[in-house]
Amino acid sequence: MHIENEFFRIVDILKTDDNNAVFKIELITECKVYEGHFPGNPICPGVFNIETIKECAQILSGRSLRISGVKQCRFTSLLTPANREIISVKINTAGMENGLVVQATISDSSNSYVEFKGNMIYD
Amino acid sequence: MEIERLIPQRYPIKVVDELLEVNGNEAHCQLGLRADNCFIEPDGRMAEPGLIEHIAQCASAVAGYRAVAAGATQPPLGFIGEVKNFHCYRRPAVGEMLHTTIENGPEVAGVTLITGKVMSGDELLAETKMKIFINK
Repeated sequence: MHIENEFFRIVDILKTDDNNAVFKIELITECKVYEGHFPGNPICPGVFNIETIKECAQILSGRSLRISGVKQCRFTSLLTPANREIISVKINTAGMENGLVVQATISDSSNSYVEFKGNMIYD
Repeated sequence: MEIERLIPQRYPIKVVDELLEVNGNEAHCQLGLRADNCFIEPDGRMAEPGLIEHIAQCASAVAGYRAVAAGATQPPLGFIGEVKNFHCYRRPAVGEMLHTTIENGPEVAGVTLITGKVMSGDELLAETKMKIFINK
């Protein structure tokens, strides 16, 4: 699965340092997943938001990653492709044995959508 | 009962085939993993978010089963509120038969706490706790 340029498109990357960045993204309305989630009622699948975080963490770290564990991931508001705002995916990483501890949030100017804490191992 | 009557998810995100049994708070589902979903990687294995979605859809099928038994004609929409303590031990490959057990906790204000375990044969592939919102 690879959803950059299918589900989301990166418009800018604000990198603070090697462990911290904010990815500015927009959602792609035509993404095929909405045919099934849900027919006639497009809603971003929560797990696609998790994959978005993984793909942004891969770009920041320059490594291919696998999610080995999710300590906690809260979905605080529903995100839909009708949202045409620029969305911020904020990524913080810290090193661990053979991978990264990743903390991330997805939000826009009015809402918070996802708060993620998990472990990703180098693939 | 056809799974399409129990869950609203459809191709390309549908990742459960059958609700086999509901026994009190425990339910069993299965998925014969095919390449017809959006989670399969170039190596022929399912990406980790697919395992989380599979567990969520199994829980959604249980909610759908209860809703249909109560007279609903459409499967209810369910949303993941929280994923907690998810572990992925191995990603399954296309062709494997996944057998998933869902344990339902009590429902409070439309939110159900569930535990899901995905097995392939005797091997535990993934497990998680999850809060699911069901829209009624």
